[in-house]
Amino acid sequence: MNTVSPEMLQRHYTTVNITGNDTVTGGNDVSVFERQQARMKWHQQQQLGGLVEIKPDPGLQYGWPDFSDPCQDQMIPPLMADHNLKKRKSTLEDQNQKVNLKDNIVKEKKIKGCSDENSTETSSKAKVTEVPKQEYIHVRARRGQATDSHSLAERVRREKISERMKYLQDLVPGCNKITGKAGMLDEIINYVQCLQKQVEFLSMKLATLQPRLDFDIDNLIMKEMMEVPAVGYSSELANSSYFQVNSLLEMGNNTIDTMLKRSIGGPVSIPETVVVSSYFNQMQPAGVTWDGDLHNLYRMETQQESSSIPFQPHKFTGSYEESNLKMEL
Amino acid sequence: MSGSKHPTSINPTYLKNQFAHRFVRALKNLNHTATQTHDHNQIYKRSSRIKIAAYTAMASVVGSRRTWSRAVLWKIRNRSRNRSRIQGLLLRKRTRVDGKIISCHHHAKIMSLKRRNLKRDDFNPFRNSCQESKLRKLVPGAETMDSWCLIGETADYIKCLAAQGCLCYSHVNVFVVM
Repeated sequence: MNTVSPEMLQRHYTTVNITGNDTVTGGNDVSVFERQQARMKWHQQQQLGGLVEIKPDPGLQYGWPDFSDPCQDQMIPPLMADHNLKKRKSTLEDQNQKVNLKDNIVKEKKIKGCSDENSTETSSKAKVTEVPKQEYIHVRARRGQATDSHSLAERVRREKISERMKYLQDLVPGCNKITGKAGMLDEIINYVQCLQKQVEFLSMKLATLQPRLDFDIDNLIMKEMMEVPAVGYSSELANSSYFQVNSLLEMGNNTIDTMLKRSIGGPVSIPETVVVSSYFNQMQPAGVTWDGDLHNLYRMETQQESSSIPFQPHKFTGSYEESNLKMEL
Repeated sequence: MSGSKHPTSINPTYLKNQFAHRFVRALKNLNHTATQTHDHNQIYKRSSRIKIAAYTAMASVVGSRRTWSRAVLWKIRNRSRNRSRIQGLLLRKRTRVDGKIISCHHHAKIMSLKRRNLKRDDFNPFRNSCQESKLRKLVPGAETMDSWCLIGETADYIKCLAAQGCLCYSHVNVFVVM
């Protein structure tokens, strides 16, 4: 185990290449590249000291996966890597140096990041197993791909984008099941459209309600709206209005609920008949009607992209369609 | 990078407070005609004004931190500028051009930054998908962004839109109570 000769390893590589295994496409170059990478790290990551030497020989990892699970290979490199590294250093120096230099730098940034994370680990053994795991994942991700700096940069970019897509997944309700970018984008587009339509609808509602009021109550309005954040009305409520039941939203249910039902179902009646009392201060265990309505709206809108919005008040059939286009500002 | 992803880096409560203040103030300044008109046109106009007030309030709270807020404010200002000169067609055209030139000053930096990123996107097939172009049309000011910035802007925009919707909703509730 301690004296793995380079010839043995090279024979191993050649056998792997001959078998034409998919995992070793680009075989020699990749393995050599990975060895090169390991060597570069050994030079440049002096902070890790002995750890660097124990860093796995990626070539080994490439050689072995076709026989076994990748996960099982993590322990092997630490045992053999340091010896192989030194032995094969001489054979690597003349190979693919320029091409891989940039790639190494790009990768080292990541691996440095990984190693920084790992430097907080207590035991060195944990470090050894942690780093090869992450390295292995990085390396594996690039398997079968071109190793030029363009593709690597592209991959880094794609990973950044996917990271942000995950963040968006948390923002948009109901996106947990969807995994593909296309589906996610569809959901996001729908959600943004719904939010914009919601604002338009609410502004329409306000336009009908506003002139009826005595403007001495402006202070009261401010007070009420200030109370809203104080009670913990978070921005997630808009999301919760689609799928969750929130206590504050329940309070509002009884008020807007009947209004909306009317506007959805039939002719709009100015809500003179709606009677509500200090809904902000009461905790009413209301039904899920508001959520259900909005949910239906959301669903309906996903089906029809036209401007025939179900909650369009009958009064404003013509004008609302115009205003319902995307933000026409 | 993580700092720029967290939208607006504003406390959401602060955002809501500021938005509420500005929105109510803007509504005060709007038509105070107590006439209860059922005229469709008037109501439509009023509602569009309210909508503009809401967007202005929201964008002004976020300020120039985000591209979408800058774009919204610029559009609104441009629109009002165009409206004020509605008498002369020539004048209007001129002001549109002038408006563009003037606004170019504060957009120039943004555009030059984006142009740099655009070249790298040439080989990205994801960019030309119709979905992404749809998203670009939806999010204001996102037409010339690269994909990564676009998604960040979308996240921020969604957060602010949701907050805006909540507050408008509560505002309507207040009116309903009265």
